[in-house]
Amino acid sequence: MAAASSKRNKVIKKTGFYVVLVLLLGIMLFPFFIMLMTSLKSSKEAISTNPTLLPNNWTFQHYIDIFNPIIFPYLNYFKNSLIVALIAATLSVVLGILGAYALSKLKFKGRVTINASFYTVYMFSGILLVVPLFKIISGFGLYDTRMALIITMIVQTLPTAIFMLKSYFDTIPEDLEEAAMIDGLSRIKIILYIIIPLSISGIVSVFVYAFMIAWNDYLFASIFLSSSENFTLPIGLNTLFSTPDYVWGRMMAASLVTALPVVGMYALSEHFIKGNLTEGGVKG
Amino acid sequence: MKTIVRKKKSDIKLALILLLPSIFLLLLLVAYPMISNIKISFFDQPINPRLPATFVGLSHYTDVIKDIEFYKSLGLTILYTVLTVVGSTGVGLAIALFFNRPFKFRKTARSLIILSYVTPSISLVFAWKYMFNNSYGIINYLGTDVFHLFKSAPLWFDNPVSSFIVVVVFAIWKYFPYAFISFLAILQTIDKTLYEAADIDGATLWQKFKVVTLPAIMPVLLTVVTLRFIWMFYMFTDVYLLTNKVNILGIYLYQTAFAFNNLGKASSISVILFIILFIVIIVSRKRVNLNGSSK
Repeated sequence: MAAASSKRNKVIKKTGFYVVLVLLLGIMLFPFFIMLMTSLKSSKEAISTNPTLLPNNWTFQHYIDIFNPIIFPYLNYFKNSLIVALIAATLSVVLGILGAYALSKLKFKGRVTINASFYTVYMFSGILLVVPLFKIISGFGLYDTRMALIITMIVQTLPTAIFMLKSYFDTIPEDLEEAAMIDGLSRIKIILYIIIPLSISGIVSVFVYAFMIAWNDYLFASIFLSSSENFTLPIGLNTLFSTPDYVWGRMMAASLVTALPVVGMYALSEHFIKGNLTEGGVKG
Repeated sequence: MKTIVRKKKSDIKLALILLLPSIFLLLLLVAYPMISNIKISFFDQPINPRLPATFVGLSHYTDVIKDIEFYKSLGLTILYTVLTVVGSTGVGLAIALFFNRPFKFRKTARSLIILSYVTPSISLVFAWKYMFNNSYGIINYLGTDVFHLFKSAPLWFDNPVSSFIVVVVFAIWKYFPYAFISFLAILQTIDKTLYEAADIDGATLWQKFKVVTLPAIMPVLLTVVTLRFIWMFYMFTDVYLLTNKVNILGIYLYQTAFAFNNLGKASSISVILFIILFIVIIVSRKRVNLNGSSK
């Protein structure tokens, strides 16, 4: 009797757990559900005062529209975002590897000071620097160029990149390097053939992180970019939102496609990498 | 022996070469701008960089200190920061405790929970603006027509109080996964026998949390709270994109610079905020370990 009732208790407890889990996920994911469903509704349905969860008439028209450059400059924004994010993330990773290697493996005076100052920069917020950066970028004649954005994004992500990579490099044993040195490998070759292969998951995490920061940036894009040919997705979409041009379904379709590259990269890195980017002090 | 000696000699040169690009960029685009902020704050700066600036001394600072908007904005920012830090940390911890057991689809559920954190703000903002739309948003439809929570549909983004509620809930929803992941990772390292021992002593759930869980997660808790505090205090994008009714400091600064073209005054605000940040960093440096939440 007692065993049966304790078994029943267990079943009830387990069912309760899954009910709470489903409710929790339902609440957390509700905005995504609305986004997806609205992107599949007709424009008239999207502004009905009796909103329904599912579309009455399913349509893929909004997805077709956002990829039509005559209707919507989405592809151009997407291209700009991709250029900025790819270049910024790549350079951030390369400079990060060099800097992190020096801070992790080389012994020299001033290492602690440099470490500490990078740490301070890490906590720095972009908003505090908008005025001087605006002046500096204009002074270089880089106003309204993607280059302006690429450089600022590298600076935004570099301290974190160095910190994350340093913590990976720190786990690589010294003996390995010393053995390689005795074999006559130069430092550069050690970085290329030993350090990089051994911390590939950290490098991928840093790349994904830097890509995300650049892809999501609105602040600097809004300060540096003025002509719509140069707009990245966040500024481009927000500008469209304040024109009569916006259609809810289209905005939702655009929002989902905008989220796709970063969510996809994140999901992949989550799947392939142990100890991924959300673990540790990643800025965001 | 010979190789080790050679290595020591060449280290500083190599270190400089490797660090040079990073140091150069950070000096040029972080350190120099910060100092330049101080300089700009003493001048009246025309928006056109070719025009000369006029020295105005401390008048921008007295402007800010006398500006009632600054204090309103400061108070609002502190309230926003405290609510979102407590909210996102609390929710993150609660869900991490809930997840801290083996169950089916755990990995999938974990990935889904993090979705709001990895999705770009711009995408999320459109969804929220749509959901909270006055006339056809689902929130007002559910709240008034289905569950009768409100007597009349709130005009969410048209009034400061309801806009504030929306931006706070948005931030908690978007940022709790950061705390969640950090806590979940550390919770998994806690020795299960500690709980069993507490069970034998007849400890309640709360006592177990206080005696076993809390001390174990303390370093992570401190890191999460400090970093989140700094990031929320200097928030700009999320709030700016959601509404023009919540004038937090980031927006106050941005508007002063780029809506009112008062670069000098904006710089003096930056300097004041920088001093606040610097104090926070000094205070937190000893307690916060960047990698505290990683293992």
